[in-house]
Amino acid sequence: MEKGVLYSGIGHVGLILWMFIGGFFIRHNDNAEIAVTEVSLVSRAEFEAILAASPTAPAPEAPQTDISTPTPPTPEVEPPAPTPAVEQPTVTPQPPARPEPEPVPEASPDVVETAPAPVPQAPDEPAPSAPLVVDEPPVVAPTISARPRPKPAARVAPVPTEAPAPDAQTDVAAAPAVTPEAAPEAQVVEEVKPETAPEEAGTELATEANKAEPLAPSASARPKSRPARRAETALAETQDAPATTDATQAAIDAAVAAASGATATEVSAPATAPSGPPMTAGEKDGLRVAVQACWNVGSLSSEALLVTVTVSVELGQDGKPDAGSMKMTEYEGGSDGAARQAYEAARRAVIRCGANGFKLPPEKYDQWHSLELVFNPERMRIK
Amino acid sequence: MTYQSPFGLLLAIGMIIGGLIAAPAVAQNGPLRIEITEGVIEPLPFAVPDFVPENGAAGEFAQNIARVIASDLAGTGLFREIPASAHIGRVTSFDAPVAYADWKAINSQALVTGAVSASGDRIVVKFRLFDVFSGQQMGEGLQFAGTTQSWRRMAHKVADAVYSRITGEGGYFDSRVVFVSESGPKNERAKRLAVMDYDGANVQFLTDSRSIVLAPRFSPTGGRILYTSYQSGFPKIYLMDVASVQAQALGDQPGTMTFAPRFAPDGRTVVFSLEQGGNSDLYTVDTSGGGLSRLTNAPSIETAPDYSPDGSQIVFESDRSGTQQIYVMSAGGGEPRRISNGPGRYSTPVWSPRGDLIAFTKQHQGRFHIGVMRVDGSEERLLTASFLDEGPTWSPNGRVIMFTRETAGASGQSSLYSVDITGRNLRPVGSNGAASDPSWSPLLP
Repeated sequence: MEKGVLYSGIGHVGLILWMFIGGFFIRHNDNAEIAVTEVSLVSRAEFEAILAASPTAPAPEAPQTDISTPTPPTPEVEPPAPTPAVEQPTVTPQPPARPEPEPVPEASPDVVETAPAPVPQAPDEPAPSAPLVVDEPPVVAPTISARPRPKPAARVAPVPTEAPAPDAQTDVAAAPAVTPEAAPEAQVVEEVKPETAPEEAGTELATEANKAEPLAPSASARPKSRPARRAETALAETQDAPATTDATQAAIDAAVAAASGATATEVSAPATAPSGPPMTAGEKDGLRVAVQACWNVGSLSSEALLVTVTVSVELGQDGKPDAGSMKMTEYEGGSDGAARQAYEAARRAVIRCGANGFKLPPEKYDQWHSLELVFNPERMRIK
Repeated sequence: MTYQSPFGLLLAIGMIIGGLIAAPAVAQNGPLRIEITEGVIEPLPFAVPDFVPENGAAGEFAQNIARVIASDLAGTGLFREIPASAHIGRVTSFDAPVAYADWKAINSQALVTGAVSASGDRIVVKFRLFDVFSGQQMGEGLQFAGTTQSWRRMAHKVADAVYSRITGEGGYFDSRVVFVSESGPKNERAKRLAVMDYDGANVQFLTDSRSIVLAPRFSPTGGRILYTSYQSGFPKIYLMDVASVQAQALGDQPGTMTFAPRFAPDGRTVVFSLEQGGNSDLYTVDTSGGGLSRLTNAPSIETAPDYSPDGSQIVFESDRSGTQQIYVMSAGGGEPRRISNGPGRYSTPVWSPRGDLIAFTKQHQGRFHIGVMRVDGSEERLLTASFLDEGPTWSPNGRVIMFTRETAGASGQSSLYSVDITGRNLRPVGSNGAASDPSWSPLLP
């Protein structure tokens, strides 16, 4: 055997042995400090925008972000076929006459399922003016407080809303009153309409028991989670930075907003996404707030509130959802029946609040023409 | 980098390979994905235009049935009726196409249309339910036929069907409540058993006022009622057949007092308290009066028992710890487990028909509360607070609790209230006068 082969063999055998038993000779330090490196995600387009806006401007400190895990695409699942409620025909004979005092039970009505006669569909024509109008909900900035305290109210919403003015009509969106005298110099003549304000809402159901002791947390919806602390710091540092051009500031704000938005849970298609600039975190938040303003879970059963449904829908260029394209692609956490109820509530939310078109940037239509909305009611359950 | 064992190295290699394999999946194209985690909790707007009378005799019923349906739904607190004065569309034919735009314009999210036909003493009620913003019918149309006297029940059945299709849980409108009707001053109050529709309509008396009656309880089928009466001078349990209004003492034990009865889910066994020599314990007896069996044997007072829906456990109150608290034990007896652990006194526990909650009365810091807790005692929530609230009873679907509220003072009066298990929608239940001790029936057949 040649020496080279021998040395090579000894070397390989030694390497293999070291790989398998080397660990026993190395002291494993369980208490070793774990190195942590903070990272952030800034898209290529945003990074280039920052550089283009101000090559000499100092880059803002990268805020700490939670990097959301991309969710693998879900297989398309056809919604379960609705099963009509089966009513059992029952007949109870009329009870005989009895001496007083006596109850007089009524005859049990027969229950017969009708022949499911098709109902002709009326053309869905534009509606005339009406006192109650579904309007685009406002994009509400998340409120931050040192000690989130639930506000009891009859209506529960993610963001508490103060009681509207006595003269204000209740509407989804707040709007100032427009009167002929309000803008005498204005060139654009606005339609006269009364002041509107969102209906009063709190974050906790107002019950009789918690009225006496407002701080008693007998039932509450969870307060909104606080943003990452580092994100706040980064924002403050950004604001304290030396004066820069407006374009630079806008670019930095966009980068910070995008990074802060990582606390949200949406995942958009990366790399091979459709052409055009990506959706910013603020634009996604706007869409989320718009949908959740109409997602009413107040009439859902306890079981339906356990179901997370995923709904896919196509949007037109005007931002209006195509009701025919909407379908439940996935659900988890409950029975078929409960999932159907949860899906119908989600469907109503998308159609109602999208009736006038979601406010989305037209130039990014390729990004948002196809939506996948995950309705997770975990925070809306009564605790 | 150090590895404790070869498995660590292999694991690292596997993760790297796995990551390389998974990378292309992350990079693939897909729709914009948004997670909605916060919505709103508010009543769902609905419209119930008057039902269409299909002949002249049905005109009155068509309007009244629509009103009862609207009242049932709005009374839950989960729905908000859009009054007829705001309606733009008019339903003139049951089979006419629905003008969704008209109902969208007034923000009605659900629409109930129907028709009524009458012939002699029979009427037929049919209805359809529509999801306005989806432009779809929800479920199939149904029709109910019955006598003209039972028009309210048919309206309740329509409301139950609508409620069930929208919420996904059973309704509770076609049900009745047995209670103690009270009259006279506080120190000389006459009490009679009475039944009424769940909404307070159709009150009918079952007993006269010659003897005091307490704590009536419906059987699981609603055909019989257990109650406690002082007819013999001492509290005794009686069993009444609702159809014949005939009552008889149950398991009469000389020298004892029996009270706080409750049916087992099978309807054949009754659990109750029996007092003998100053001590109260829990017993069971067959509805035929035989088979007396002792469940507890303690020097403390055990009372207010109630079965779990599956009949395997019993919840009751006991002062064995020094104050009234709630305990759970096996239906056959055995060592009880205390589940109430908050401050104050707990009493009158009642197991939810769903089996997930126990309602109770709580006395704390001079006020009474109706509350609910999980069957293990966790997640206690107080729903009400007043001078005196007590005696909760569950609706058939486990969504609503009815109870007795008494006002303070010498002229204080008892009345019935109901509240949603979320604590919302606290409202009085009309019962034509003072009332107490309600017990909700199951849904009527």
